[in-house]
Amino acid sequence: MAANYWESTQRRHWQFSKSQLDELRKKLEDEDPNLVQMYPLPPLRHLSIYFNLQISRLGKRLGVRQQAMATAQLYIRRFYSKVEIRRTNPYLVIATAVYLACKMEECPHHIRLVVSEGRTLWPDFFSSDTSKLGECEFFLISEMSSQMIVHHPYRSLTSLQGTFSLAQEESALAWSIINDHYMTDLPLLYAPHIIALMAILLALVLRPNQTGVQSASNSAGSIASAAHAALSSASQSKAGASEKQGGGARSKVQKLANWLAESNIDIEAIVDCTQEIISFYELHEQYNEKLTREQINRFVKARGLDK
Amino acid sequence: MFPPRRPPSFRLGIGPVGYQSKVRVIDRYKVIGFISSGTYGRVYKAVGRHGQTGEFAIKKFKPDKEGEQIQYTGISQSAVREMALCSELSHMNVIRLVEIILEDKCIFMVFEYAEHDLLQIIHHHTQPTRHPIPPGTVKSIMFQLLNGCQYLHANWVLHRDLKPANIMVTSGGEVKIGDLGLARLFNKPLHSLFSGDKVVVTIWYRAPELLLGSRHYTPAIDMWAVGCIFAELLSLRPIFKGEEAKMDSKKTVPFQRNQMQKIVEIMGLPRKDQWPHLVNMPEYNQLQTLSTSSHNKSGGSNLEKWYYSTINSHSATSVPSSNASLGSEGYKLLSGLLEYDPERRLTAQAALQHPFFSTGDKVSANCFEGMKMEYPHRRVSQDDNDIRTSSLPGTKRSGLPDDSRPVKRMKE
Repeated sequence: MAANYWESTQRRHWQFSKSQLDELRKKLEDEDPNLVQMYPLPPLRHLSIYFNLQISRLGKRLGVRQQAMATAQLYIRRFYSKVEIRRTNPYLVIATAVYLACKMEECPHHIRLVVSEGRTLWPDFFSSDTSKLGECEFFLISEMSSQMIVHHPYRSLTSLQGTFSLAQEESALAWSIINDHYMTDLPLLYAPHIIALMAILLALVLRPNQTGVQSASNSAGSIASAAHAALSSASQSKAGASEKQGGGARSKVQKLANWLAESNIDIEAIVDCTQEIISFYELHEQYNEKLTREQINRFVKARGLDK
Repeated sequence: MFPPRRPPSFRLGIGPVGYQSKVRVIDRYKVIGFISSGTYGRVYKAVGRHGQTGEFAIKKFKPDKEGEQIQYTGISQSAVREMALCSELSHMNVIRLVEIILEDKCIFMVFEYAEHDLLQIIHHHTQPTRHPIPPGTVKSIMFQLLNGCQYLHANWVLHRDLKPANIMVTSGGEVKIGDLGLARLFNKPLHSLFSGDKVVVTIWYRAPELLLGSRHYTPAIDMWAVGCIFAELLSLRPIFKGEEAKMDSKKTVPFQRNQMQKIVEIMGLPRKDQWPHLVNMPEYNQLQTLSTSSHNKSGGSNLEKWYYSTINSHSATSVPSSNASLGSEGYKLLSGLLEYDPERRLTAQAALQHPFFSTGDKVSANCFEGMKMEYPHRRVSQDDNDIRTSSLPGTKRSGLPDDSRPVKRMKE
């Protein structure tokens, strides 16, 4: 339920394994192979980066808080796990998800305002007819089976800040890693507290080097190995080989590792999460905005989805 | 058992085709009558066409403009909240959502059907003469109602519109909190809860801190309403039956003097020593203008007197079914719920632990247990069985003469 992730619709209906997710997407592509062939698209992560950018632009114009934008991103990811993207107008879906997320997150905006901002941002791809957005809202809610309450990792991060004595910059970094994870499949794969712990771990591992996440992708390998070292020390002490080690700069990481060792938390899941986000940062380097935009715009125009 | 899912038909082929529901209400359900209508829309009684067990109440949200060609205009925030919350909630004392169908620009929420509601049950006990609701029934209803509230509050949900008409009772005697149309989560402090919708809770059940202009909503406002409902189950009339002051032309929310006056007449004037934050209430100064009533010269609380005269009043005429057996624990529970200070008011959790429920007869999970009589069934009219057409709004055709009750509630 609302306060309880374990009984939430998010855990019961919107948490998948990687293979389940692959299967869902394959099924969508198989529905109309011609369509897929005719309109090739960049990798999903690149689409997600593009969507994220568009959401931020719209969010900025509307003055939407980060959490509502995160909710919108999750709605879009859920939606496209059930609907083939080439059958939709992504700009309309983005605006609708933001419109709906704002209502759910108690910062509503009038439909006319959302539509007019959409027109300004994407004049060639966005109808001024508000009923289009209203219709898309029905579609979005219907595909999500009205399950619109979502659990974000931000809350876990806030409540764990003290436990791991995170400095302000460390929390801020963890916060931005959480922001970034909405561009990956992680929110459909893992529980929010797992994501939050992954973000804290990475923030602690990255911090001593004073590197930003983006530039860190160059040294992704070394970050990954540092993170894995911490996690394997956690799983080892979990297995009984408890040992005290480290100090100084590594002490917070060690504290986290010890804490994990004593908890029932699935360390394997955090390892997977870490790998996923690091490989996302690596792929981010190859992101080509122009190509992504063109490929999206091509099918929207060719299929008349902007009408 | 269910019809096969049709392939989604949104925007197939070239150009937009438009959204179409995968399931159709009339394919899934057979409407057997019309139950009621309100500000939100209309409610129909239905049975499943595909072997779904039980009966259903289908709530059809009123489109913005009825009659004319309906357009998509964006779903209201309160409908979005209700859809999201009902999809998430699952508890035996909260009405169960079966499914939501979005079809032909309309929203249909399908709920389990409940044969009775507390308004109807209370009303029945005033006919033809007043005779009390049996003590075992009162106790069971209160326990189940508190149990549902406890679940909602533990999940950060405020109901905000608890009143007898919204408390459903199944023919098996299970109490189900219904109508989450005003409910919302209180863990989202983006705006103060005040700013979204200015006036909540039907005025007779509105907590004193709201009447005094508090902008801070807490689960305690639901608990005050539960206290009012408890009192009403005992006396068969609303305990604080005030008249609502209408909003003036400037749309400022007026001080609800008459409602506050009704509370003061029984509860006495609130005092700083019993409610430390009283002086910080925006409308605090208005309190001095209230008259301590003629029959309450001391200014103290008359609740105890009210309680004992209420539970003993029926005993002269109908000896066997007096509520006197509810005794002093009943008074303590009532006064704990009708506590002025929201911070000291009983929480649902604390109320469930109250000795009222552990002394005397055991609380039954069926509030009708041991009753010989059966309450009349919900009236279902046949003059509007077409759930798909939108007939004229606001015509109340069935159910109880609910019209005398304040239905006023303001949203966004």
